[in-house]
Amino acid sequence: MRIVSGGVSDVGRVRTNNEDCFRIVTPLNLFVLSDGMGGEAHGEIASALAVETLVKHCMDTEKNPAAPFFGQPNPGWNARTKRLASAVYLANKNIFQSAEEHPEQHGMGATMTAAWIEGVKLSIAHVGDSRAYLLRSGNLLQLTQDHSLVAEQVRRGILTAAEADESDMQSVLLRALGAQPEIEVDAEEQVLIARDVLLLCSDGLTRMVTEPEIAGTLQAETDPTKAAERLVSLANENGGADNITVVVVRLETDSKGWFSWLRRGAQKKTGGNGSTGGK
Amino acid sequence: MPKLSLMFENKIVKELPVGSRPVTIGRSPDNDLPVDNLAVSNHHAKVYFEAGRLVIEDLDSLNGTFVNDLRIERATLHDGDKIHIGKHHIKVDTSGDAPAAAWDSGKKTVAAPRINETMVLDTKERRQMLQQAAAMGESMQFASTRMKVPTLVVLNGRTDQKEYVLTNKLTVIGKSAMATVRLKGWFKPAMSAQINQRDDGYYLGPGDKVPNVNGTPIHGPVRLNDGDLIEVSGVRLNFIFRE
Repeated sequence: MRIVSGGVSDVGRVRTNNEDCFRIVTPLNLFVLSDGMGGEAHGEIASALAVETLVKHCMDTEKNPAAPFFGQPNPGWNARTKRLASAVYLANKNIFQSAEEHPEQHGMGATMTAAWIEGVKLSIAHVGDSRAYLLRSGNLLQLTQDHSLVAEQVRRGILTAAEADESDMQSVLLRALGAQPEIEVDAEEQVLIARDVLLLCSDGLTRMVTEPEIAGTLQAETDPTKAAERLVSLANENGGADNITVVVVRLETDSKGWFSWLRRGAQKKTGGNGSTGGK
Repeated sequence: MPKLSLMFENKIVKELPVGSRPVTIGRSPDNDLPVDNLAVSNHHAKVYFEAGRLVIEDLDSLNGTFVNDLRIERATLHDGDKIHIGKHHIKVDTSGDAPAAAWDSGKKTVAAPRINETMVLDTKERRQMLQQAAAMGESMQFASTRMKVPTLVVLNGRTDQKEYVLTNKLTVIGKSAMATVRLKGWFKPAMSAQINQRDDGYYLGPGDKVPNVNGTPIHGPVRLNDGDLIEVSGVRLNFIFRE
């Protein structure tokens, strides 16, 4: 399978600074998104530090898979998921320590949603209220649970989903990086199939754009960067109350069936350079 | 709309349709279906729709909930099933029509923009808020004391084992080398279906094929209940919780 991706981050229509941060590490098929919080410019510091720490840990351990895991990875997770969860654990530690060392940063924090694809296996590690979605044959499936007070109340049957959308407590998080020295990291694993679309987004998208609109946009626009741009402009058209960050990852079949496979075989034999793409 | 009929000594005590909201059963009068008997816990069980299926869930009751004489924690209900709670029984009638529970498509009304800053609750505040939240609602039935092992039992079809204990976050059913439930034979798909373990249970989702659960094709992930029958790529599997 061929993986194509694109991401966009936008300040929105109301705020003056962008505290979101994202990174696409193409050689590793690693995708990271973080939404920072905290006064002054500290939200930006927190989200950048989160992304930096996670990417560094994943890249460093890529050459050294025997490196120890951090936090308490669930024994049922695969090695990739454990590694990704370790990286989120370290990101939490770094933000917490930085805030301890710099009193002016006190109270800064960040969400983190990271996805790592190896072959057809997808690993997700997650803390906070940014989200990962999987669009498969027209159905949009939320892969992460929001660690917000209203989401927890919905899970316990105290609020309905509609009441949660109206609540003025939407910004209250139960879990975020930087708040505590230790953190519990959620994980998810999926097997991917061709034409799946993975979406990572900050709450600036999901509070402004409905899920049917998101699904429709991802189906209509097959170029990942253009799809991300369209989602960001939809959020801005609906008010753009917060920073909006969107990462879109598409899995495409690298062959168009038997004929192209035969054609590619023939090209190889005749010394063609395989410009049709592929792995 | 399916109907529950509470019976005592073969007389109908009360009839109640099941709509989009869960029906609660128990001794306390605030239940939708109150059952006045000392053998019944205050909040004994609830019946609700999940992914188009009618499900009963025991709320950690003292004396248990029985469906067709089998003690259950969660089970899918079918037309004609008999639920036993204490000395009463409840007849399930789904012959009426399809579930009226229209799925809330997660539609969002875009409210006036709120620019209040995101905040994180510290542990103490968090505990207090959750306690208050729990006091508001009464559904706090989580920790189950018994260890239950989710198991797939192969009823028919060619696989590499007869039984699989689901210990991993992700279980793949298919011919692929990374599949836990390895299908044998020609023309079997690499990944027929997958089972994901989440906080609240095990979810079966489609892969290259659309699996059937209890005879109904599923196109998105559904939570598996004790005793569910899974059919995919010519293999029949029984999902059960072993104690």
